[in-house]
Amino acid sequence: MEEIEFKESTPLTMGVELELQLISPRDCDLTRAASDLLALTESARHPGEIKPEITESMIEVSTTVHERHAPLCEELQVIRDVLVAAADRLNIEVSGGGAHPFQRWHERQIYDRPRFNHVADLYGYLAKQFTVFGQHIHIGCANGDDAMYLLHALGRYVPHFIALSASSPYYQGVDTAYDCSRLNAVFAFPLSGRAPFKLSWSGFTEYFHKMQAAGIVESMKDFYWDIRPKPEYGTVEIRVCDTPLTVNRAAALAAYAQVLCHKLLAERDDRLEKLGEDVYLAYQYNRFQACRFGFDGVIIDPYTQQMSTLRDDILATIAESYRSACALHATQAINDLVYMARIEGNDARWMRERYAESASLEDMMWRQAQRFRAPPRVSPKKGRAVRQERQLWPARP
Amino acid sequence: MEPISFLPAWPLAVPDLAKFCAALIVAMLVGELGDRLLRLPRIAGYVIAGLVMGRFAGLISDPSLHLVSVLVDTAIGMILFELGQRVSFGWIKRNPWLLAASLLESALAFTAVYWVLIWLGMRAPLAAIIAAVSMATSPAVVMTIARDLRAQGQVTERLLLLTALNNIYAVITVTMLFAWLHLEYRHDAYTIYLHPVYLLAGSVLLAAVAAGLLLGLMEVLDKRRATQVLCVITLVIATTMVAEALKFSPALTALAFGAFARSMDRKRHFASLDFGDAGLIVIVAFFVLTGSMLDIRVSLATLAAALGLVAARALAKMVSVIALGRATGIRTRKASLVAVGMLPMSGLALLLARDAMALYPHIGRDAAGILPAAVLILEILGPLAVSFVLRTSGEAGEEVRRGRN
Repeated sequence: MEEIEFKESTPLTMGVELELQLISPRDCDLTRAASDLLALTESARHPGEIKPEITESMIEVSTTVHERHAPLCEELQVIRDVLVAAADRLNIEVSGGGAHPFQRWHERQIYDRPRFNHVADLYGYLAKQFTVFGQHIHIGCANGDDAMYLLHALGRYVPHFIALSASSPYYQGVDTAYDCSRLNAVFAFPLSGRAPFKLSWSGFTEYFHKMQAAGIVESMKDFYWDIRPKPEYGTVEIRVCDTPLTVNRAAALAAYAQVLCHKLLAERDDRLEKLGEDVYLAYQYNRFQACRFGFDGVIIDPYTQQMSTLRDDILATIAESYRSACALHATQAINDLVYMARIEGNDARWMRERYAESASLEDMMWRQAQRFRAPPRVSPKKGRAVRQERQLWPARP
Repeated sequence: MEPISFLPAWPLAVPDLAKFCAALIVAMLVGELGDRLLRLPRIAGYVIAGLVMGRFAGLISDPSLHLVSVLVDTAIGMILFELGQRVSFGWIKRNPWLLAASLLESALAFTAVYWVLIWLGMRAPLAAIIAAVSMATSPAVVMTIARDLRAQGQVTERLLLLTALNNIYAVITVTMLFAWLHLEYRHDAYTIYLHPVYLLAGSVLLAAVAAGLLLGLMEVLDKRRATQVLCVITLVIATTMVAEALKFSPALTALAFGAFARSMDRKRHFASLDFGDAGLIVIVAFFVLTGSMLDIRVSLATLAAALGLVAARALAKMVSVIALGRATGIRTRKASLVAVGMLPMSGLALLLARDAMALYPHIGRDAAGILPAAVLILEILGPLAVSFVLRTSGEAGEEVRRGRN
């Protein structure tokens, strides 16, 4: 059987896709605006791409391929500014966040495109309920085997990405008690979850052809896995992140993925092969802990069976990968993540704090949109906090 | 045979209010049938039902029924208040072309209608007043249909913003024109200059005070939505009545009240308020009454003149909105839809014209029913235009609701 071609790409390059919410400033609900917004951004010059998504209240932006965190972050800011300027002319707000806090999903309108209409027909109400907003991170791989190795090795860190990006505590008008409720909407799809445990590209191709022959899938797009290979781009794609409230955080998450991959490739050994499919034993449980409790979730390391809170696990992982962060010039981004895990908390916490102040989800949604818009605030106060952060690093082993 | 004493006397004395309620039920049925069979907007059905019943069935014998007129005043006040909320000062600031388009379409509509009327031989002050009134798009028609279809998107937003703005211009211009009338008939300097100032400044000031009061009340009333909505409605009624008592402009006051309340709402209390279908009965009554006030016994000449007025107005509005469409940031196709949606003429026109004629009865004869005839044409065509526009633009949400049922 013919192998699917895995397009070679420069290892450890990265790209980001963000799904964003379009909000009416009048009632802070999702609004139909994608096609009007796209009509405006089409004529504007900007890097990356701005594309329609499945409903009219949603838009997707993607960056070009980057080797370093700083230019990636800059490009995301430029795209954001173009979007916000266009949105201002239409009196709509663009916002991050993994789910809209109080939209009624049955009011969503499917964007008129053959693929979207097909998805809507196939999945019925799930398609509309799937009005959730995620960040996808692509990491370039030299070949398919590397991609499959990274895919399964990254599985252990999936809870990190969930806790760091979580920004969907409210859904359908209530506090779900989860930091990330968005993934619960994804789990409803039959082809969600994790990829099959194949460590070689040929093994994976074989699996894919079987699924195709059985008529279960047509293309790779039909898999909604947490991490999936993207042979056309030559990348692995991490899909568990909620869209953060700021593009800076989105860039920092991408940098974290890049650092982890750098470390995993540099320290590649036979641990994963030895452990085999058992690497996924605690996977669902860990993922649930991350969604439900964020940094306070307790996860089990599949290799050592040790239990620890996600906060400690993230900080320990970051401490271990300091060398990779330096090599990739990503220390700034990693510092921000440490500050977040230690002190600031994730976006879900920020949202709960805002809601506690006003007791109004509308008001919270509005501030969330303002947070997306605001240029990075480099107030002297925060600058100090970040600098102090270096001393908060856990001791390097 | 001895009459049975406990039976009522024949013929029955049916109270007017009961007749009116019967008329409302018939109107609702007509509206529903029109929607199901012909996909006519419901309010077009109400207007037609009101027209027929008022004219031929005598069901609406006394439109000045006290309760009904209170209801209708409330309805107009709420509609204008909600429309005023659509005036987003922030949006206009960020996209000044919207203001340009709005000013241009109103100015052109005024000029076009004015010249048509002058050409038809009307006296200048009256022509100007009718022209000023024609600048306004019917807030009731646009608001009701947008809500009925649950429309959402750029065409809807812009239609509502431009409607709110041209209603404000219309009220202000009409007020100013009264000064001109004063000049022509009284030569009294105080009245000429002070009346418009009193009316405009008073209305705006009252609106600002009411907005501050409302926001203060909403703060106290916490999040119990039912009381917040009730609070808004009662305050709107009270404010428009105060405006009337002080001889300000109730219409301008209600519009400005809405706009101020929204722009001063730092905590976004209004974002979660939904006035919902509670006003439905009032809306039905409003359109049935409008229908019953229409006079279809117009001469051919009047109808032709009215058609000229309607055409000139439509052309002026379409040209300007379409011309500035791209500058305001939407495609020409959508701009044309917005322009068509602005056709309905305000029933407010009838009231304003009536006010003018009440103040100066001797100019009333000139009007010769042109304005009522124009309103007649647009009360029937307007709702069709708006619902066509919102459906064609794909912004109507009703399909979803139908699918669910």
